[in-house]
Amino acid sequence: MNNNVPFPAVVSAIRPLTVETSLITLDTDPHHPVAASFLPGQFLELSLPGVGEFPVSYCGFPSVDGSIELCIRHVGHVTTPLQTAAPGDGVGVRGPFGHGFPLSAYSGLDLLLIAGGLGMAPLRSLLLALLKQRGLCGRLTLLYGARETGALLFLDELLEMQKRGVIELQLTVDRPGYCLNGPPDCRVAMLPDLMDQLDVDPGRTCAAICGPPVVYPLLVSGLRLLGLTDNRIHLSLERRMKCGVGRCGHCAVGTRLCCADGPVFSLAELAGTEGAIV
Amino acid sequence: MKKMRVAIAGLTACSGCQLALLNCEDELPELFEKFAFHFFPMACSPALLEGEYDAALVEGCLSMPHEKELLLELRKRSVHLIALGTCAVWGGVAALRNGEDREWLRQQVYGHNPVASETFEPLPLHRVVKVDAAVTGCPPEKEELLRLLAGLTRGALPVGIDYPVCTECRMRENLCLLTERDMFCLGLLTLGGCGARCPSLGVPCEGCRGPVPEANLAEALEIYSEKGFGRITVLDRLRRFCPEWKL
Amino acid sequence: MAPQYIASHNLAALLDRLRRYGELHGPVRGDDEVVRFAAIAPGTLPDLSALRTLLPPKKYLLHPQETILNYTAAAGYQMPAEEVRPLILFGVHPCDLAGINYLDRVFLGDAPDPLYAARRSALTLIGISCTPDEFCSCHISPSPLNALTDLSLQSLADGYAISSGSPRGDELLEGVKEILEERDIAVPEDTRRFFGQVAAEPLRQELDATLPDWQTLADACLGCGACSICCPTCYCFDVLEFGGLDGRSAVRLRQWDNCLLKCHAEVAGGMSFQKNRAERFRYRYRHKFRGFGPLQGIPSCVGCGRCRVVCPAGLDLRPLAERLDEGRHEQ
Ligand code: SF4
Ligand code: SF4
Ligand code: SF4
Ligand code: SF4
Ligand code: FES
Repeated sequence: MNNNVPFPAVVSAIRPLTVETSLITLDTDPHHPVAASFLPGQFLELSLPGVGEFPVSYCGFPSVDGSIELCIRHVGHVTTPLQTAAPGDGVGVRGPFGHGFPLSAYSGLDLLLIAGGLGMAPLRSLLLALLKQRGLCGRLTLLYGARETGALLFLDELLEMQKRGVIELQLTVDRPGYCLNGPPDCRVAMLPDLMDQLDVDPGRTCAAICGPPVVYPLLVSGLRLLGLTDNRIHLSLERRMKCGVGRCGHCAVGTRLCCADGPVFSLAELAGTEGAIV
Repeated sequence: MKKMRVAIAGLTACSGCQLALLNCEDELPELFEKFAFHFFPMACSPALLEGEYDAALVEGCLSMPHEKELLLELRKRSVHLIALGTCAVWGGVAALRNGEDREWLRQQVYGHNPVASETFEPLPLHRVVKVDAAVTGCPPEKEELLRLLAGLTRGALPVGIDYPVCTECRMRENLCLLTERDMFCLGLLTLGGCGARCPSLGVPCEGCRGPVPEANLAEALEIYSEKGFGRITVLDRLRRFCPEWKL
Repeated sequence: MAPQYIASHNLAALLDRLRRYGELHGPVRGDDEVVRFAAIAPGTLPDLSALRTLLPPKKYLLHPQETILNYTAAAGYQMPAEEVRPLILFGVHPCDLAGINYLDRVFLGDAPDPLYAARRSALTLIGISCTPDEFCSCHISPSPLNALTDLSLQSLADGYAISSGSPRGDELLEGVKEILEERDIAVPEDTRRFFGQVAAEPLRQELDATLPDWQTLADACLGCGACSICCPTCYCFDVLEFGGLDGRSAVRLRQWDNCLLKCHAEVAGGMSFQKNRAERFRYRYRHKFRGFGPLQGIPSCVGCGRCRVVCPAGLDLRPLAERLDEGRHEQ
């Protein structure tokens, strides 16, 4: 597979999720690996012709019809103009790149997912994959925090899952006053604080984390306090992936390359890696 | 496709940057196809501000009250406001004497004759309004201008450069005029993007593109002084294009 | 078989014969005294006395700035069609050969880079021996990288011992055999001997962030980029895309980059993972002396000395590397 040349794709829908994020659905060739064979946690490179390319995590589940869902925050050089994309617009895709979450390692275990902000996107992909193979895992718990209730992504979907009893959900926002009209039971606390009231069996729990880098140290120490071992904690690191294939040198974490060795790492793998958890 | 509405204005400057745009002769037909230049006093008349603009390109620094009004007006009416050229981005040559007594300066130039309009100490645009993007250079590189415009049609602003002229100079495998010839080359401190135009011709960089991000002035001054250029000389030279150079 | 020998006065004849196999480039001294790899004009000799060219041969494999994709609305993104002609690089020193070996490992690994691969396969390498000067460090830290050649020349008093290192080299030797002689000479020790050494156990422990050296280096660095531009194994690149005014076309470029610069590790929104220059020096050090990703444990510095020569601030990571390397033995 030639991963150097973007493959044509077409925007089939774009739906604003919050003021600065939207869910973009692309139509691609169902036989192309970007659509057909990715793992939650992997990423693809999305090209907007004439503007550039950026890395973005898969947010949905591999589909049979070649559609892929991406959650995009419109703050960068390429993502800003993408905000005004319309169905029918042509884009390019390369991927999938990197290592995703180790689904097979979760078999028979409880899973604790912790998402901060846009980190919900890859974890949604993971969640969908796990729900598809119901029975693979035991309890599914999601802790999800955002700046304000308006910034909680996929809220309806998550509340629906909670209602159906397939996940246990805890939500939080950073500041009071932002919680008005929020979902029921949404707390006002920092994401790591949600772990205080958690009841997990460390012997049979894995954690998958994706969030802004600033919360990682606290989340990690919280999980260790709960008794989770480092090889059961997986986290997704965000770096400036440009080539996706281990060549441009832009995504290094210590002596590792986020694009090739990550972006999902186990905490054990990152032991002694400077700058991994900042 | 609908043409983009663009305003192009010149404040205190030599019009060289606007001219650089008009000099893109080969591309002009294409430009007129994509852009409607609704306000371009230098090239088209009449020049009346009207409605809103997708982008305003502003050349020159601010030195007169009416310029400030025009700039604020353009800012209000435009989605993107772009500083065009070194004067707009950094202050440029007009700001060379900033910090000196203005009354004295006035007398040096005009003697006791009355001056037509009131002026103040020249300022780069970003001191007064939010600037969305900058194309620096005295004048800007044609290529950069065209890329800016092509980007605008796609809703994109240019990606900033973070390397100095030296980086491009080395890429071109040039002789280093500073270290090998002891010439007064400002490439170390100057924002790249010109392809090391001057050093490639054997002429030291004058610093016309303004400071590179994270310029290490203290260390550069050491190096220049080893080559016999004192700090006053260096700072004077740097401030020709960017009065805000400070120690 | 006795070693093959070519007399110095036959060098011009050798070059002329080599030209039959492709464009011939080697170290050439310009009017400005700068030595660069460039075409060796017929009737002239390369400058074999110079120890290093300003840019290493990587410029032939990865251009400072090059188009990697063209876009048109009709055809989508496509790789540029590049006509690659056979190129013979004459007079390449062991460090630069090892540098090419390092780039090969990065760009010819799984899913080879098409541009690199095409140029590389059109490249014939003719190495030459050299004597390290005070800027070189090949002899101080032997490298696991190989200094492979098609042909190798080793300087003797009045000529060169010449030997082949590949089938391509055999072919070339065959083609120039009328100007070679077999001579019973004592061939000096191969200056490529510092390369192809077994790699030391990779250092697992992280670099000590509290070492004052990082800050000292950072304070003195001007961020001019020269050290990476001129390094035979620095391959980091930035990717840029520019749309055409027509609204239907675009080009994507890659351009040499330097990890000491501000934008290198910035992600969307402006947050940088190598926040200050001291951290970026640690990053550079890690890459030069410890290696990245799949090449972890393989130092990428081949000791050519260019970074030390071109740094306007005279910075040098070698003393630090030697110090930290001593720590290796004490571990
Ligand atoms: S000649 Fe000037 S621009 Fe070029 S490397 Fe030397 S100092 Fe830098
Ligand atoms: S080399 Fe320096 S003076 Fe010359 S165009 Fe570039 S920035 Fe301006
Ligand atoms: S780090 Fe310096 S000495 Fe080592 S290979 Fe690169 S330029 Fe040569
Ligand atoms: S050559 Fe020297 S001054 Fe220039 S970036 Fe490298 S270390 Fe810094
Ligand atoms: S994205 Fe280029 S090396 Fe990882």
